[in-house]
Amino acid sequence: MRNDLASVQAFLASVIPNRAAATGDPALAETAARFVTGNARLTPAAQVDIYRRQFWYRHREVLRDDFSALARLLGDPKMDAFCRDFLDAHPPAHAPFRKMLEPVPHFAATWPGFETDAARTFAADMARYEIALLDVRAAADAPPLDPQKLASLPEDAWERARIVLHPAVQRLAFSYPVHRIRKAWLVAGEPAIVPETPSPAHIALYRSRELVTHFEELEPEAFTLLSLLAEGAALVPALGRLAEPLPEERQEHIAASVGRWFQQWTTLGIVVDVELPSSS
Amino acid sequence: MTAPDPMRLGLPDLGIGVGLRLPHYEEIFETRPKVDWFEIISENFLVPGGAPLANLERALAHYPVIQHGVSLSIGGTTPIDFDFLRSLRALIRRTKSPWVSDHLCWTGTATVNTHDLLPLPYTAEVVRHVAARARIVQDTLEVPLALENVSSYLTYTSSDMTEWDFVKAVVEEANCGVLLDVNNIYVSSENHGFDPRTYVDAIPAERVVQIHLAGHTNYGDYIIDTHSGPVIDPVWELYRRAIRRVGPVSTLIEWDEDIPPLATLLAEAERARVVREEVLSHAK
Repeated sequence: MRNDLASVQAFLASVIPNRAAATGDPALAETAARFVTGNARLTPAAQVDIYRRQFWYRHREVLRDDFSALARLLGDPKMDAFCRDFLDAHPPAHAPFRKMLEPVPHFAATWPGFETDAARTFAADMARYEIALLDVRAAADAPPLDPQKLASLPEDAWERARIVLHPAVQRLAFSYPVHRIRKAWLVAGEPAIVPETPSPAHIALYRSRELVTHFEELEPEAFTLLSLLAEGAALVPALGRLAEPLPEERQEHIAASVGRWFQQWTTLGIVVDVELPSSS
Repeated sequence: MTAPDPMRLGLPDLGIGVGLRLPHYEEIFETRPKVDWFEIISENFLVPGGAPLANLERALAHYPVIQHGVSLSIGGTTPIDFDFLRSLRALIRRTKSPWVSDHLCWTGTATVNTHDLLPLPYTAEVVRHVAARARIVQDTLEVPLALENVSSYLTYTSSDMTEWDFVKAVVEEANCGVLLDVNNIYVSSENHGFDPRTYVDAIPAERVVQIHLAGHTNYGDYIIDTHSGPVIDPVWELYRRAIRRVGPVSTLIEWDEDIPPLATLLAEAERARVVREEVLSHAK
Protein backbone atom coordinates (compact mmCIF):
# COMPACT_ATOMS: atom_id res chain seq x y z
CA MET A 1 0.00 0.00 0.00
CA ARG A 2 1.26 3.49 -0.86
CA ASN A 3 2.15 5.64 2.10
CA ASP A 4 2.67 8.98 0.42
CA LEU A 5 0.99 12.21 1.54
CA ALA A 6 -2.01 11.87 -0.77
CA SER A 7 -2.65 8.29 0.37
CA VAL A 8 -2.44 9.24 4.05
CA GLN A 9 -4.85 12.11 3.50
CA ALA A 10 -7.25 10.04 1.40
CA PHE A 11 -7.39 7.39 4.13
CA LEU A 12 -8.04 9.83 6.97
CA ALA A 13 -10.55 11.87 4.97
CA SER A 14 -12.48 8.68 4.28
CA VAL A 15 -12.55 7.62 7.95
CA ILE A 16 -12.93 10.86 9.89
CA PRO A 17 -16.52 11.63 8.70
CA ASN A 18 -17.70 8.10 9.60
CA ARG A 19 -20.25 7.68 12.33
CA ALA A 20 -18.85 4.26 13.31
CA ALA A 21 -15.63 4.01 15.34
CA ALA A 22 -12.50 2.82 13.53
CA THR A 23 -11.68 0.78 16.63
CA GLY A 24 -14.81 -1.28 16.06
CA ASP A 25 -13.89 -2.26 12.51
CA PRO A 26 -10.99 -4.77 12.31
CA ALA A 27 -10.25 -4.06 8.63
CA LEU A 28 -10.20 -0.32 9.22
CA ALA A 29 -8.08 -0.74 12.34
CA GLU A 30 -5.58 -2.77 10.31
CA THR A 31 -5.42 -0.07 7.63
CA ALA A 32 -5.07 2.63 10.30
CA ALA A 33 -2.02 0.79 11.66
CA ARG A 34 -0.31 1.11 8.27
CA PHE A 35 -0.53 4.90 8.40
CA VAL A 36 -0.69 5.78 12.09
CA THR A 37 1.72 4.69 14.84
CA GLY A 38 -0.48 4.60 17.93
CA ASN A 39 1.24 4.79 21.31
CA ALA A 40 1.35 2.99 24.65
CA ARG A 41 -2.11 4.30 25.57
CA LEU A 42 -3.94 4.40 22.25
CA THR A 43 -4.02 2.10 19.24
CA PRO A 44 -3.68 3.69 15.78
CA ALA A 45 -7.45 3.32 15.28
CA ALA A 46 -8.11 4.95 18.65
CA GLN A 47 -5.96 7.91 17.62
CA VAL A 48 -7.90 8.23 14.35
CA ASP A 49 -11.12 8.09 16.35
CA ILE A 50 -10.12 11.23 18.27
CA TYR A 51 -10.33 13.15 15.00
CA ARG A 52 -13.54 11.34 14.07
CA ARG A 53 -15.21 12.46 17.30
CA GLN A 54 -13.93 16.01 16.88
CA PHE A 55 -15.41 16.04 13.36
CA TRP A 56 -18.81 15.11 14.77
CA TYR A 57 -18.73 17.59 17.67
CA ARG A 58 -17.58 20.45 15.44
CA HIS A 59 -20.18 19.97 12.70
CA ARG A 60 -23.00 19.19 15.08
CA GLU A 61 -22.25 22.47 16.86
CA VAL A 62 -22.31 24.42 13.59
CA LEU A 63 -25.63 22.86 12.56
CA ARG A 64 -27.19 23.42 15.99
CA ASP A 65 -26.02 27.04 16.10
CA ASP A 66 -27.10 27.95 12.60
CA PHE A 67 -30.40 26.06 12.75
CA SER A 68 -31.38 26.86 16.31
CA ALA A 69 -35.14 26.82 15.65
CA LEU A 70 -34.88 23.49 13.84
CA ALA A 71 -32.87 22.17 16.79
CA ARG A 72 -35.55 23.46 19.16
CA LEU A 73 -38.25 21.70 17.13
CA LEU A 74 -36.42 18.39 17.11
CA GLY A 75 -34.96 18.37 20.63
CA ASP A 76 -31.41 17.17 21.36
CA PRO A 77 -31.54 13.42 20.55
CA LYS A 78 -33.52 13.89 17.34
CA MET A 79 -31.41 16.87 16.25
CA ASP A 80 -28.35 14.64 16.74
CA ALA A 81 -29.97 12.01 14.50
CA PHE A 82 -30.79 14.69 11.93
CA CYS A 83 -27.19 15.96 11.99
CA ARG A 84 -25.75 12.44 11.71
CA ASP A 85 -27.97 11.61 8.73
CA PHE A 86 -27.24 14.96 7.12
CA LEU A 87 -23.46 14.63 7.49
CA ASP A 88 -23.63 11.06 6.11
CA ALA A 89 -25.52 12.34 3.07
CA HIS A 90 -23.61 15.60 2.66
CA PRO A 91 -20.12 15.43 4.18
CA PRO A 92 -18.62 18.93 4.05
CA ALA A 93 -16.53 19.38 0.93
CA HIS A 94 -15.58 23.06 1.19
CA ALA A 95 -13.86 25.27 3.72
CA PRO A 96 -16.66 27.81 4.27
CA PHE A 97 -19.26 26.36 6.63
CA ARG A 98 -21.90 28.34 4.74
CA LYS A 99 -21.52 25.95 1.79
CA MET A 100 -22.16 22.97 4.05
CA LEU A 101 -25.54 24.45 5.03
CA GLU A 102 -26.93 24.76 1.51
CA PRO A 103 -28.46 21.27 1.22
CA VAL A 104 -30.14 21.42 4.66
CA PRO A 105 -33.59 22.65 3.50
CA HIS A 106 -33.87 19.98 0.82
CA PHE A 107 -32.55 17.37 3.21
CA ALA A 108 -35.14 18.40 5.81
CA ALA A 109 -37.88 18.20 3.18
CA THR A 110 -37.13 14.49 2.66
CA TRP A 111 -35.80 13.37 6.05
CA PRO A 112 -37.69 10.27 7.21
CA GLY A 113 -37.16 11.23 10.86
CA PHE A 114 -40.07 13.66 10.60
CA GLU A 115 -43.38 11.94 11.22
CA THR A 116 -45.45 13.77 8.63
CA ASP A 117 -45.07 15.51 5.30
CA ALA A 118 -46.36 18.66 6.99
CA ALA A 119 -43.48 18.53 9.48
CA ARG A 120 -41.02 18.07 6.62
CA THR A 121 -42.45 21.07 4.76
CA PHE A 122 -42.34 23.14 7.92
CA ALA A 123 -38.73 22.11 8.69
CA ALA A 124 -37.61 22.91 5.14
CA ASP A 125 -39.23 26.36 5.41
CA MET A 126 -37.53 26.97 8.75
CA ALA A 127 -34.13 25.83 7.42
CA ARG A 128 -34.47 28.16 4.43
CA TYR A 129 -35.36 31.03 6.74
CA GLU A 130 -32.43 30.35 9.07
CA ILE A 131 -29.98 30.28 6.14
CA ALA A 132 -31.47 33.55 4.86
CA LEU A 133 -30.89 35.14 8.27
CA LEU A 134 -27.19 34.25 8.05
CA ASP A 135 -26.94 35.64 4.52
CA VAL A 136 -28.72 38.91 5.28
CA ARG A 137 -26.40 39.63 8.22
CA ALA A 138 -23.24 39.33 6.11
CA ALA A 139 -24.45 40.54 2.70
CA ALA A 140 -22.88 43.49 0.93
CA ASP A 141 -23.53 47.04 2.08
CA ALA A 142 -25.12 49.81 0.02
CA PRO A 143 -25.56 53.55 0.60
CA PRO A 144 -29.15 54.61 1.39
CA LEU A 145 -31.46 55.99 -1.28
CA ASP A 146 -30.74 59.63 -2.09
CA PRO A 147 -34.11 61.44 -1.76
CA GLN A 148 -32.88 64.27 -4.01
CA LYS A 149 -32.13 61.82 -6.78
CA LEU A 150 -35.63 60.40 -6.42
CA ALA A 151 -37.20 63.87 -6.47
CA SER A 152 -35.26 64.92 -9.56
CA LEU A 153 -36.41 61.98 -11.70
CA PRO A 154 -38.43 63.07 -14.77
CA GLU A 155 -42.09 62.03 -14.82
CA ASP A 156 -41.60 59.42 -17.51
CA ALA A 157 -38.64 57.84 -15.68
CA TRP A 158 -40.69 55.01 -14.15
CA GLU A 159 -41.23 53.56 -17.64
CA ARG A 160 -37.54 52.76 -17.87
CA ALA A 161 -35.97 53.27 -14.44
CA ARG A 162 -34.47 50.22 -12.79
CA ILE A 163 -35.17 50.07 -9.09
CA VAL A 164 -32.16 48.81 -7.16
CA LEU A 165 -32.81 46.75 -4.04
CA HIS A 166 -30.38 46.56 -1.15
CA PRO A 167 -28.08 43.56 -1.79
CA ALA A 168 -28.98 42.11 1.62
CA VAL A 169 -32.70 41.88 0.83
CA GLN A 170 -34.09 38.36 0.54
CA ARG A 171 -37.56 37.56 -0.75
CA LEU A 172 -38.96 34.40 0.81
CA ALA A 173 -42.22 32.54 0.32
CA PHE A 174 -43.20 29.95 2.93
CA SER A 175 -45.97 27.44 3.48
CA TYR A 176 -45.82 28.31 7.19
CA PRO A 177 -45.08 31.69 8.81
CA VAL A 178 -41.73 30.44 10.11
CA HIS A 179 -40.44 34.00 10.54
CA ARG A 180 -43.01 34.67 13.25
CA ILE A 181 -42.83 31.17 14.68
CA ARG A 182 -39.05 31.27 15.08
CA LYS A 183 -39.31 34.53 16.99
CA ALA A 184 -42.04 33.09 19.21
CA TRP A 185 -39.94 30.01 19.98
CA LEU A 186 -36.54 31.56 20.46
CA VAL A 187 -37.36 35.04 21.76
CA ALA A 188 -40.68 34.58 23.56
CA GLY A 189 -39.87 31.00 24.62
CA GLU A 190 -43.12 29.54 23.34
CA PRO A 191 -43.31 25.73 22.97
CA ALA A 192 -41.90 24.43 19.68
CA ILE A 193 -44.89 22.86 17.97
CA VAL A 194 -45.56 22.63 14.24
CA PRO A 195 -48.86 24.46 13.47
CA GLU A 196 -51.73 22.16 12.58
CA THR A 197 -52.41 23.87 9.28
CA PRO A 198 -50.21 25.70 6.79
CA SER A 199 -50.58 29.44 6.45
CA PRO A 200 -48.62 30.71 3.45
CA ALA A 201 -46.48 33.78 4.00
CA HIS A 202 -44.45 36.10 1.80
CA ILE A 203 -41.75 38.20 3.39
CA ALA A 204 -38.89 40.50 2.62
CA LEU A 205 -35.99 39.89 4.98
CA TYR A 206 -33.81 42.96 5.20
CA ARG A 207 -31.25 44.75 7.29
CA SER A 208 -31.73 48.16 8.87
CA ARG A 209 -29.06 50.87 8.72
CA GLU A 210 -28.14 49.77 12.26
CA LEU A 211 -27.42 46.30 10.77
CA VAL A 212 -30.34 44.71 12.58
CA THR A 213 -32.25 42.06 10.61
CA HIS A 214 -36.02 42.50 10.22
CA PHE A 215 -38.80 40.87 8.25
CA GLU A 216 -41.65 42.63 6.49
CA GLU A 217 -44.71 40.63 5.55
CA LEU A 218 -45.84 41.32 2.00
CA GLU A 219 -49.06 40.81 0.11
CA PRO A 220 -48.55 38.18 -2.61
CA GLU A 221 -48.74 40.84 -5.33
CA ALA A 222 -46.21 43.04 -3.55
CA PHE A 223 -43.93 40.00 -3.24
CA THR A 224 -44.19 39.31 -6.97
CA LEU A 225 -43.57 42.95 -7.82
CA LEU A 226 -40.50 43.04 -5.60
CA SER A 227 -39.25 39.87 -7.31
CA LEU A 228 -39.74 41.42 -10.76
CA LEU A 229 -37.86 44.53 -9.65
CA ALA A 230 -35.07 42.37 -8.26
CA GLU A 231 -34.80 40.70 -11.68
CA GLY A 232 -34.19 44.14 -13.21
CA ALA A 233 -37.60 45.03 -14.64
CA ALA A 234 -38.49 48.73 -14.64
CA LEU A 235 -41.42 49.71 -12.41
CA VAL A 236 -44.11 50.36 -15.01
CA PRO A 237 -43.40 47.25 -17.14
CA ALA A 238 -43.15 45.20 -13.94
CA LEU A 239 -46.57 46.44 -12.87
CA GLY A 240 -47.91 45.52 -16.29
CA ARG A 241 -46.54 41.98 -16.03
CA LEU A 242 -47.88 41.68 -12.50
CA ALA A 243 -51.40 42.89 -13.31
CA GLU A 244 -51.93 41.25 -16.69
CA PRO A 245 -53.04 37.77 -15.53
CA LEU A 246 -55.06 39.08 -12.56
CA PRO A 247 -58.80 39.83 -12.36
CA GLU A 248 -59.83 43.47 -12.54
CA GLU A 249 -60.49 43.70 -8.82
CA ARG A 250 -56.86 42.72 -8.00
CA GLN A 251 -55.55 45.03 -10.69
CA GLU A 252 -57.38 47.90 -9.01
CA HIS A 253 -55.98 46.83 -5.67
CA ILE A 254 -52.43 46.90 -7.07
CA ALA A 255 -52.98 50.32 -8.61
CA ALA A 256 -54.23 51.61 -5.29
CA SER A 257 -51.40 50.00 -3.30
CA VAL A 258 -48.24 50.44 -5.33
CA GLY A 259 -47.49 53.94 -4.06
CA ARG A 260 -47.75 52.74 -0.47
CA TRP A 261 -45.61 49.67 -1.15
CA PHE A 262 -42.90 51.73 -2.79
CA GLN A 263 -42.89 54.27 0.01
CA GLN A 264 -42.65 51.49 2.54
CA TRP A 265 -39.72 49.86 0.71
CA THR A 266 -37.82 53.13 0.47
CA THR A 267 -38.47 53.92 4.15
CA LEU A 268 -37.23 50.49 5.26
CA GLY A 269 -34.11 50.73 3.11
CA ILE A 270 -35.19 47.88 0.85
CA VAL A 271 -34.90 50.19 -2.17
CA VAL A 272 -31.51 51.93 -2.31
CA ASP A 273 -31.33 53.44 -5.78
CA VAL A 274 -33.21 54.22 -8.97
CA GLU A 275 -31.11 53.93 -12.11
CA LEU A 276 -32.08 55.51 -15.41
CA PRO A 277 -30.57 53.78 -18.43
CA SER A 278 -28.62 56.15 -20.66
CA SER A 279 -30.79 57.60 -23.47
CA SER A 280 -28.38 56.37 -26.16
CA MET B 1 21.66 54.15 10.70
CA THR B 2 20.05 51.30 12.66
CA ALA B 3 20.52 47.82 11.27
CA PRO B 4 17.27 45.96 10.55
CA ASP B 5 16.10 43.82 13.46
CA PRO B 6 17.19 40.27 12.64
CA MET B 7 14.50 38.88 14.94
CA ARG B 8 10.82 38.34 14.02
CA LEU B 9 11.76 38.68 10.34
CA GLY B 10 11.93 42.40 11.08
CA LEU B 11 8.23 42.47 11.97
CA PRO B 12 7.00 44.57 14.90
CA ASP B 13 6.45 43.38 18.46
CA LEU B 14 2.84 44.37 19.09
CA GLY B 15 2.84 43.36 22.76
CA ILE B 16 0.04 41.29 24.29
CA GLY B 17 -3.21 40.64 22.41
CA VAL B 18 -6.36 38.58 22.70
CA GLY B 19 -8.67 36.96 20.17
CA LEU B 20 -11.52 39.23 19.06
CA ARG B 21 -14.63 37.15 19.74
CA LEU B 22 -18.33 37.94 19.30
CA PRO B 23 -19.44 37.74 22.99
CA HIS B 24 -16.98 40.54 23.85
CA TYR B 25 -17.67 42.94 20.96
CA GLU B 26 -19.96 45.40 22.71
CA GLU B 27 -17.85 45.62 25.86
CA ILE B 28 -14.68 46.10 23.83
CA PHE B 29 -16.19 48.80 21.64
CA GLU B 30 -17.76 50.61 24.58
CA THR B 31 -14.92 50.40 27.11
CA ARG B 32 -11.86 50.16 24.82
CA PRO B 33 -9.89 47.98 27.23
CA LYS B 34 -6.13 48.11 27.53
CA VAL B 35 -5.17 45.46 24.97
CA ASP B 36 -2.24 45.99 22.63
CA TRP B 37 -3.84 44.23 19.66
CA PHE B 38 -6.52 41.80 18.57
CA GLU B 39 -6.35 38.70 16.43
CA ILE B 40 -9.25 37.78 14.16
CA ILE B 41 -10.07 34.53 12.46
CA SER B 42 -9.77 35.69 8.85
CA GLU B 43 -12.47 33.37 7.53
CA ASN B 44 -15.11 35.00 9.77
CA PHE B 45 -14.58 38.25 7.90
CA LEU B 46 -14.41 36.97 4.32
CA VAL B 47 -17.95 38.18 3.73
CA PRO B 48 -19.35 40.89 1.45
CA GLY B 49 -20.40 43.27 4.25
CA GLY B 50 -22.86 43.70 7.10
CA ALA B 51 -22.20 43.28 10.79
CA PRO B 52 -18.94 41.28 10.57
CA LEU B 53 -17.12 43.96 8.57
CA ALA B 54 -18.75 46.81 10.50
CA ASN B 55 -17.48 45.28 13.74
CA LEU B 56 -14.05 44.79 12.22
CA GLU B 57 -13.95 48.47 11.29
CA ARG B 58 -14.86 49.38 14.87
CA ALA B 59 -11.93 47.32 16.13
CA LEU B 60 -9.56 48.72 13.51
CA ALA B 61 -10.42 52.27 14.55
CA HIS B 62 -8.70 51.71 17.91
CA TYR B 63 -6.45 48.64 17.74
CA PRO B 64 -4.02 46.82 15.47
CA VAL B 65 -5.69 43.68 14.12
CA ILE B 66 -3.76 40.62 12.99
CA GLN B 67 -5.26 37.97 10.74
CA HIS B 68 -5.11 34.31 11.65
CA GLY B 69 -6.57 31.68 9.35
CA VAL B 70 -7.83 28.14 9.71
CA SER B 71 -8.51 26.93 6.18
CA LEU B 72 -5.35 27.48 4.13
CA SER B 73 -4.54 23.75 4.24
CA ILE B 74 -0.93 24.45 3.35
CA GLY B 75 -0.13 20.73 3.52
CA GLY B 76 -3.08 19.69 1.39
CA THR B 77 -2.67 17.89 -1.90
CA THR B 78 -5.48 19.73 -3.69
CA PRO B 79 -4.52 22.76 -5.79
CA ILE B 80 -3.99 26.07 -3.99
CA ASP B 81 -7.25 28.01 -3.92
CA PHE B 82 -6.32 31.33 -5.48
CA ASP B 83 -9.85 32.73 -5.12
CA PHE B 84 -9.49 32.23 -1.39
CA LEU B 85 -6.06 33.87 -1.41
CA ARG B 86 -7.41 36.86 -3.33
CA SER B 87 -10.18 37.38 -0.79
CA LEU B 88 -7.64 36.98 2.01
CA ARG B 89 -5.43 39.60 0.37
CA ALA B 90 -8.38 41.99 0.10
CA LEU B 91 -8.98 41.56 3.82
CA ILE B 92 -5.28 42.18 4.53
CA ARG B 93 -5.58 45.48 2.69
CA ARG B 94 -8.46 46.38 4.99
CA THR B 95 -6.82 45.28 8.26
CA LYS B 96 -3.25 46.28 7.29
CA SER B 97 -2.15 43.15 9.14
CA PRO B 98 1.67 43.20 8.88
CA TRP B 99 1.73 39.42 8.68
CA VAL B 100 -0.85 36.65 8.38
CA SER B 101 -0.80 33.25 9.93
CA ASP B 102 -2.34 29.86 9.39
CA HIS B 103 -1.53 26.33 10.46
CA LEU B 104 1.15 23.92 9.37
CA CYS B 105 -1.37 21.21 8.63
CA TRP B 106 -3.90 19.90 6.13
CA THR B 107 -7.67 20.14 6.47
CA GLY B 108 -9.17 17.95 3.76
CA THR B 109 -9.14 16.48 0.29
CA ALA B 110 -10.95 17.32 -2.92
CA THR B 111 -14.13 15.69 -1.63
CA VAL B 112 -14.09 16.13 2.17
CA ASN B 113 -13.21 19.10 4.34
CA THR B 114 -12.76 17.95 7.93
CA HIS B 115 -12.56 21.53 9.22
CA ASP B 116 -9.81 20.21 11.48
CA LEU B 117 -6.10 20.98 11.63
CA LEU B 118 -4.58 17.60 10.86
CA PRO B 119 -0.87 16.96 11.31
CA LEU B 120 1.40 16.16 8.40
CA PRO B 121 3.86 13.28 8.07
CA TYR B 122 7.30 14.62 8.97
CA THR B 123 9.38 13.74 5.90
CA ALA B 124 11.72 15.59 3.54
CA GLU B 125 9.23 15.07 0.71
CA VAL B 126 6.46 16.78 2.70
CA VAL B 127 8.85 19.60 3.67
CA ARG B 128 9.41 20.30 -0.03
CA HIS B 129 5.69 20.06 -0.82
CA VAL B 130 4.62 22.43 1.97
CA ALA B 131 7.48 24.90 1.49
CA ALA B 132 6.73 25.22 -2.23
CA ARG B 133 3.08 25.99 -1.48
CA ALA B 134 3.97 28.40 1.34
CA ARG B 135 6.23 30.38 -0.99
CA ILE B 136 3.38 30.75 -3.49
CA VAL B 137 0.93 31.76 -0.76
CA GLN B 138 3.33 34.31 0.70
CA ASP B 139 4.02 35.74 -2.74
CA THR B 140 0.29 36.02 -3.49
CA LEU B 141 -0.64 37.58 -0.15
CA GLU B 142 2.21 40.09 -0.36
CA VAL B 143 2.80 39.99 3.40
CA PRO B 144 4.91 37.55 5.43
CA LEU B 145 3.21 34.25 6.25
CA ALA B 146 3.67 32.67 9.68
CA LEU B 147 2.92 28.97 10.04
CA GLU B 148 1.64 27.70 13.36
CA ASN B 149 2.61 24.35 14.85
CA VAL B 150 -0.61 22.42 15.51
CA SER B 151 -1.66 20.16 18.36
CA SER B 152 -1.77 16.57 17.22
CA TYR B 153 -3.46 13.44 18.44
CA LEU B 154 -1.73 10.97 16.14
CA THR B 155 1.65 10.39 14.53
CA TYR B 156 2.40 8.75 11.21
CA THR B 157 4.37 5.60 10.46
CA SER B 158 5.96 7.44 7.52
CA SER B 159 7.47 10.26 9.62
CA ASP B 160 11.24 10.09 9.74
CA MET B 161 12.08 13.31 11.56
CA THR B 162 10.89 15.08 14.71
CA GLU B 163 8.13 17.67 14.54
CA TRP B 164 10.51 20.48 15.52
CA ASP B 165 12.98 19.50 12.77
CA PHE B 166 10.06 19.42 10.34
CA VAL B 167 8.82 22.90 11.36
CA LYS B 168 12.35 24.30 11.11
CA ALA B 169 12.93 22.74 7.69
CA VAL B 170 9.61 24.00 6.29
CA VAL B 171 9.94 27.60 7.44
CA GLU B 172 13.56 27.83 6.36
CA GLU B 173 12.87 26.37 2.91
CA ALA B 174 9.77 28.56 2.53
CA ASN B 175 11.49 31.58 4.05
CA CYS B 176 8.45 32.29 6.19
CA GLY B 177 7.74 32.95 9.84
CA VAL B 178 6.66 30.78 12.76
CA LEU B 179 3.61 31.31 14.90
CA LEU B 180 4.79 29.39 17.93
CA ASP B 181 1.84 27.92 19.80
CA VAL B 182 3.31 27.03 23.16
CA ASN B 183 0.17 25.28 24.34
CA ASN B 184 0.17 23.13 21.20
CA ILE B 185 3.74 22.07 21.96
CA TYR B 186 2.67 21.07 25.45
CA VAL B 187 -0.43 19.20 24.20
CA SER B 188 1.52 17.26 21.57
CA SER B 189 4.35 16.51 24.00
CA GLU B 190 1.87 14.92 26.40
CA ASN B 191 0.11 13.04 23.59
CA HIS B 192 3.29 11.73 22.01
CA GLY B 193 5.73 11.62 24.89
CA PHE B 194 8.52 14.06 24.06
CA ASP B 195 10.18 16.80 26.06
CA PRO B 196 8.48 20.10 25.11
CA ARG B 197 11.60 22.03 26.12
CA THR B 198 13.56 20.30 23.36
CA TYR B 199 10.94 21.54 20.88
CA VAL B 200 11.06 25.14 22.11
CA ASP B 201 14.87 25.10 22.04
CA ALA B 202 14.98 23.82 18.45
CA ILE B 203 12.68 26.36 16.81
CA PRO B 204 14.55 28.95 14.72
CA ALA B 205 14.20 31.88 17.12
CA GLU B 206 14.68 34.60 14.53
CA ARG B 207 11.62 33.38 12.58
CA VAL B 208 9.15 33.46 15.46
CA VAL B 209 6.85 36.41 14.74
CA GLN B 210 4.02 35.55 17.11
CA ILE B 211 3.23 33.31 20.08
CA HIS B 212 -0.10 31.71 21.02
CA LEU B 213 -1.11 30.73 24.54
CA ALA B 214 -4.29 28.86 25.40
CA GLY B 215 -5.95 26.36 27.67
CA HIS B 216 -6.74 22.77 26.75
CA THR B 217 -8.77 19.78 27.96
CA ASN B 218 -7.16 16.68 29.43
CA TYR B 219 -9.12 13.49 28.73
CA GLY B 220 -6.70 11.21 30.55
CA ASP B 221 -5.35 9.16 27.66
CA TYR B 222 -4.94 12.25 25.53
CA ILE B 223 -5.22 16.04 25.58
CA ILE B 224 -7.26 18.12 23.14
CA ASP B 225 -6.41 21.70 22.24
CA THR B 226 -9.86 23.09 23.04
CA HIS B 227 -8.85 26.70 23.78
CA SER B 228 -10.96 26.47 26.91
CA GLY B 229 -9.95 27.46 30.42
CA PRO B 230 -6.88 29.32 31.58
CA VAL B 231 -3.29 28.61 30.53
CA ILE B 232 -1.83 26.00 32.87
CA ASP B 233 1.43 26.45 34.78
CA PRO B 234 3.59 24.09 32.67
CA VAL B 235 2.57 26.10 29.59
CA TRP B 236 3.52 29.35 31.32
CA GLU B 237 6.89 27.75 32.05
CA LEU B 238 7.31 26.90 28.37
CA TYR B 239 6.31 30.46 27.48
CA ARG B 240 9.06 31.79 29.75
CA ARG B 241 11.52 29.50 28.00
CA ALA B 242 10.29 30.60 24.57
CA ILE B 243 10.54 34.32 25.41
CA ARG B 244 14.08 33.80 26.70
CA ARG B 245 14.93 32.42 23.24
CA VAL B 246 12.94 34.65 20.91
CA GLY B 247 12.84 37.94 22.86
CA PRO B 248 9.92 40.37 22.69
CA VAL B 249 7.43 38.70 20.36
CA SER B 250 3.74 39.54 19.96
CA THR B 251 1.83 37.19 22.24
CA LEU B 252 -1.83 36.24 22.06
CA ILE B 253 -4.24 34.55 24.48
CA GLU B 254 -6.73 32.32 22.65
CA TRP B 255 -9.99 31.36 24.38
CA ASP B 256 -12.67 29.89 22.09
CA GLU B 257 -14.69 27.42 24.13
CA ASP B 258 -16.64 28.34 27.28
CA ILE B 259 -15.63 31.91 26.51
CA PRO B 260 -15.33 33.76 29.84
CA PRO B 261 -16.21 37.37 30.66
CA LEU B 262 -13.85 39.83 29.01
CA ALA B 263 -12.32 40.70 32.41
CA THR B 264 -11.14 37.08 32.83
CA LEU B 265 -9.59 37.03 29.37
CA LEU B 266 -7.88 40.37 30.00
CA ALA B 267 -6.54 39.10 33.32
CA GLU B 268 -4.95 36.19 31.45
CA ALA B 269 -3.45 38.65 28.96
CA GLU B 270 -2.12 40.72 31.84
CA ARG B 271 -0.47 37.62 33.26
CA ALA B 272 1.23 37.08 29.90
CA ARG B 273 2.44 40.67 29.99
CA VAL B 274 3.89 40.25 33.49
CA VAL B 275 5.59 36.96 32.59
CA ARG B 276 7.02 38.39 29.38
CA GLU B 277 8.32 41.56 31.05
CA GLU B 278 9.80 39.54 33.89
CA VAL B 279 11.72 37.30 31.47
CA LEU B 280 12.83 40.18 29.26
CA SER B 281 14.01 42.25 32.24
CA HIS B 282 16.16 39.34 33.45
CA ALA B 283 17.59 38.92 29.97
CA LYS B 284 18.87 42.53 29.90
